[in-house]
Amino acid sequence: MTDLHTAVVDIRDTALDPAAALDFVSDPRFGGIDMFIGKVREHNLGRIVTGVSYDLFEPLALRTFEAIAARARNEIGGPMKLYIAHAKGDLGIGDVAVIVAAGTPHRDEAFRACRLAIETVKHEAPIWKQEHYVDGDSAWSEGCSLCDEHRQAEQATASHGEVHGHSH
Amino acid sequence: MKVHIALFGALRDADARGFIELEAPESCTIATLRELLRAHLREHAPHISPHLVQRSAFASEDEILHGHRTLPDNGQLAILPPVSGG
Repeated sequence: MTDLHTAVVDIRDTALDPAAALDFVSDPRFGGIDMFIGKVREHNLGRIVTGVSYDLFEPLALRTFEAIAARARNEIGGPMKLYIAHAKGDLGIGDVAVIVAAGTPHRDEAFRACRLAIETVKHEAPIWKQEHYVDGDSAWSEGCSLCDEHRQAEQATASHGEVHGHSH
Repeated sequence: MKVHIALFGALRDADARGFIELEAPESCTIATLRELLRAHLREHAPHISPHLVQRSAFASEDEILHGHRTLPDNGQLAILPPVSGG
């Protein structure tokens, strides 16, 4: 029995399952559970989206999920169960793209662990989203650079405070 | 040594096979490999934006490899464009 479940789920095999996440983080010690579910939405930046495709560098994605869990555990400092799963492949509108769930003794740690985990998945895990539009066009989403040298260059040119300015 | 660079996201357009193979000196740094890759792409995939390559990170299956690191012994790498999961 482990306190961490990480997975990359090929959508051709099975869908992501929020009930399984809830079940995994449930524990007699825990009175607080928080779950984030990310779904594919029908529009982005004024364009009508018909679906998305996710590309992942799977071994490093799973290692990143484990590192995120270690960071959350360090931040929370008490008992916690964490579930992180991300979809891979072609998804339609309304399909579940990502699930993060945290179970802890009280709600505050559950909220904090869940927020930390989903934000870090979005900003640091090697995952790429390609959107498909109603006009037949497709585009890879703008993302967060993992390149330290580039991040430092961006910080040097940022005028004030808000370095991470984009809104995804 | 021969270096195998797996492609992801927008950089998959650089080579339909999903990877690029380059010849690099032994004990070459990641920063040097980045320059070799940029030169390769200028010649073989000029439609790939140099800015995208500049914003991309190199990685092994275990970790991100920053500019000062040397190539892994097995020559297996990935190049990761800016990420957009979730």
